[in-house]
This record gives sequence, structure tokens and C-alpha cells, in this order.
Amino acid sequence: MVINVAKTYEEINEKIRAKKAVVYTAEEVVDLVKKKGVEKAAEEVDVVTTGTFGAMCSSGAFLNFGHADPPIRMTNILLNDVQAYGGLAAVDTYIGATQMVEAPKTGYGGAHVIEDLVAGKRIHLHAWGPGTDCYVRKNIDTYISLDDINEAYLYNPRNIYQNYGVATNTSDRTIHTYMGKLLPKMRNATYSSAGQLSPLLNDPHCDTIGIGTRIFLAGGEGYVSWQGTQFKTTVEEVNGVPVGGSRTMALIGDMKQMDAKYLRGLDITGYGTSLAIGVGVPIPILNKDVMQRCAISDEEIFAEMVDYSLPTGRTPMARYNYAQLRSGTVEYQGKKIRTSSMSSYAGARDVAETLKDWIDNGEFLLNKPCLDLPKEGKLKGLKERSE
Amino acid sequence: MECKYKIEFEEGAAQESVTYILVSEFSLKPNVLKAEIDGDGSGKMLISLKGEEDDIVEGMEKLKSMGFKVTEFEGHITHDMDRCFSCGACVSVCPTRSIYHDKGTWIVKINTGTCIGCGSCLGACSVKAINLVI
Repeated sequence: MVINVAKTYEEINEKIRAKKAVVYTAEEVVDLVKKKGVEKAAEEVDVVTTGTFGAMCSSGAFLNFGHADPPIRMTNILLNDVQAYGGLAAVDTYIGATQMVEAPKTGYGGAHVIEDLVAGKRIHLHAWGPGTDCYVRKNIDTYISLDDINEAYLYNPRNIYQNYGVATNTSDRTIHTYMGKLLPKMRNATYSSAGQLSPLLNDPHCDTIGIGTRIFLAGGEGYVSWQGTQFKTTVEEVNGVPVGGSRTMALIGDMKQMDAKYLRGLDITGYGTSLAIGVGVPIPILNKDVMQRCAISDEEIFAEMVDYSLPTGRTPMARYNYAQLRSGTVEYQGKKIRTSSMSSYAGARDVAETLKDWIDNGEFLLNKPCLDLPKEGKLKGLKERSE
Repeated sequence: MECKYKIEFEEGAAQESVTYILVSEFSLKPNVLKAEIDGDGSGKMLISLKGEEDDIVEGMEKLKSMGFKVTEFEGHITHDMDRCFSCGACVSVCPTRSIYHDKGTWIVKINTGTCIGCGSCLGACSVKAINLVI
């Protein structure tokens, strides 16, 4: 007998509260669906947890330092010699992950400040202001920690890319890119998605993920706050998932809940700094269609290889699935190319398993989105005009 | 057993083939991890030796008697597992495939026995988790 499963958020949350919810990671559920079929699996499973842990450049943190006595309206702000934005109210700022430390220092940036804050380290705050009638002070030089500032929350305009390209280098010299070190003559290729564990590849059309979805963000609870920048829905799909960078999410979460284990300030040779973040999204198994999409495996998810030695016009050269990419070598025109991942599969699995534990223990309830993400999104280029 | 040594020499000592002596007289299986010779004829070699413990000890004594400076070392490459988050960016740039993903856990590991200390991985690591100590 085929039962047309239809669960609600309320029913699933009721089970989570009672510690009776059945939770699988997106990796574990692949075999379950193969073995039991999608209907049975949809009946049995309440939540599938996903995860990813890789570089997400469009990330940063809003901070409020609190007022000193006398107070200052900060317009130039350095945190461990990394510039933070000085165009908000007196002691509010935003520090971006890719902001590099002031020269001559190198190898440190906003991402490292964020990691150090969450790790409980003291951060050197040096700030200047114009000195006004209401904020008489002109500079301050002190040390802050996460505990003694008022608010600290990550607000990341573009995270958890739904799939991404594979990078290689056909030129005669090594190039250093945000996709890592690419050896000459296609001696290696790098990829960055967590594939079958990746959040947006398990709910490719955002049927369950929406604005307000509660997530795992670097060891704390966070939320999907908006569609991410460069959100697009126009990429070709194979097996129901796009073959290249497609949807993205803007994420928000309280840094005071986070664990530095799931954050890494990165210094990517030849590129600059970035922040690696562990992010996990729970997918409620509302019906068998949702279940079917969560059952996607690395063999069914494809990504396109492009030549990063070209400054422009990078057309796809070949298409590989994530099982091939993860095997360590792919073939291109008879030549073997070694592959490297830029995001941590071990980390992605840790995130998905930790989120699963939280739900198993009744500590993490699902939040029904308050607004759907856009069904369509097109990418615009930047026009160069004289006026 | 397998041991690793740093063998340094001055110009005068470079007249004999170290690896030939170790193979022919002590039945050792040497693997030269790295060798550098300076313009003045002095140099150093990092070598991994497989063989019986006694043969390794005697072989090294022989080299010392010939004027070579011999220092045993544990690992010439270090892997800081607190910084490393197993992204794997270093894996495909390693020419000897000494850096690899454990296929069960997907944790990045380094086989120090086959690492030749070329340093190709250093610039590929974005968290500076790998260091060469030679």
C-alpha cells in the first residue's frame, strides 16, 4: 500500500520535542532511499540534515562595541590592524572577511578577526572620530573580546552556493586563485561543493528552505535572512540540480553562540583572505518529493570544468560528477588530472552529524519559513558607461 | 624498520656514493627525500632508510667515520591538526601523493615517509597548517 505522506512542520517539531524524530544526514539517506524506496523512506524519515564547510568570501560581522566615557563617534576603525566600516552609528561597525590587514603586515584579515573573536581572543581596537559636540572624543586605543562587546552577529550576504565550477589551468605557469593553487598544463583541478551533503543541492528549488529557515551556523543557531547576492535560477539542470553556481543564501547568526572549530580565517595565496564557515541546513521531509530530492548522490551531481588561466570567456571544457571529482583523478582528452577539494568534506559531515544530534536530542526545532525565496533570478553583468 | 636521517657533508667528504655504500655494505633500502649541493661542494641530503635496526646503526656509524655529519629526525614536515580543517587544497599539488584524504573519514593526512620536502603544499594551504622543519 502506498501512503501519500504529507507531514507538517508542527508534526515534525512535536516529534523533535518528544525526542522521537527520525533524522538522517543527506549522506546516510542516499542508501536508505535506495534500499527502502522513496515512499517508505519519506514515511520513516522526518528530517534530513545537510552540511558544508568551505570558503565563503561574502561574509562578515556586525559589531557594537559599547560606549567609552567620554564617548566617540568612530569613523576610522581598525581591529587588529584590519579596517572595519566607519559609516554606521557611533560604535557600530561591519567587518568584512576579505578586508586585508594594513600593509606591511600580510596573511591576516577580517576573517581572522572574526575567528579570533569567536575563539575568545582579545582584539586590538584602534579607532578615530572627528570629535563633535555630542561625541567629544577623537580616538580610542583598547582591547575588546566577544564577551565584553554588546552585539556581534555574522551577516553574510552570499553563502552556501548551490554548486560551483571546477577550476583548472591550461597555461604554462602555476597560477594562484581563490580556487587554490593550479599547476601548469592541467596537472590538477579543484572543486568546492560538498556535493551530496551540500544544503542547496538537497533542496534544489528551495521547496522547504526559505527566509526564516533556522540553520546551523558555525556551531550556533542562525537563520536564512534573504536570498544571497548573485542568486540565479537560470543554470542548466541535470538530475534536477544545476551544473554550476546557482542559488545562494544570505545568512545571519549570533557569534556569541558560535564555536571557532567551525570557522577558519583563510589566507589564500595570490588572492587574499576569506572565511571558511561550517553551515548546515535541516530539510523537513514534508512529502515524498522532498525525500526524493534529498536522496541525490555524488554520482548524480555534475559540475563543469573551466580554465582559470583565461582572464575572460571561460567556457566549460568538461563535465564531471562529484564521485569522479572525489576519486582523486578525472580524465580530460585522455589525460589524467588530479583533483583537490577546496571545501572540507570531513567538515561538512561533522556539521550534518552535529545538527542531526541537536535534533535527535530535541534541542533544535525547525522554523517554517515566513517567505519563499524567489522562484526566478537572473544574473546581470556590470556595464561600463561614461555617464 | 624505517628511519630518517639528515646527512651533511663538506667538500672533502663528497668523494663516495653514500647510497651505494648503504645498499652494498649494509643491505639498506635508501630513499633520498631531498638533496642539495651548494656551490662550494658542501651539501645535505635527507634520506629515509629501510632495513634491520643493526644495519641502520652500523651504516650510520660508517658514514660518521667517513666525515659525514649524521642527524636522525622524526618528521621533516609537520601537520597542525588544530588549524587544518581537511579542505584538501594541498592534496593535488603534492608530486609524491604523500598528502591524501583518508577515504573513510575524509580527513587530510600526510605520509611523512614518502614526503620529499619540496614545499609545493605550503602555498596551497590557506590556514598554514603545514610546515617544513628542514
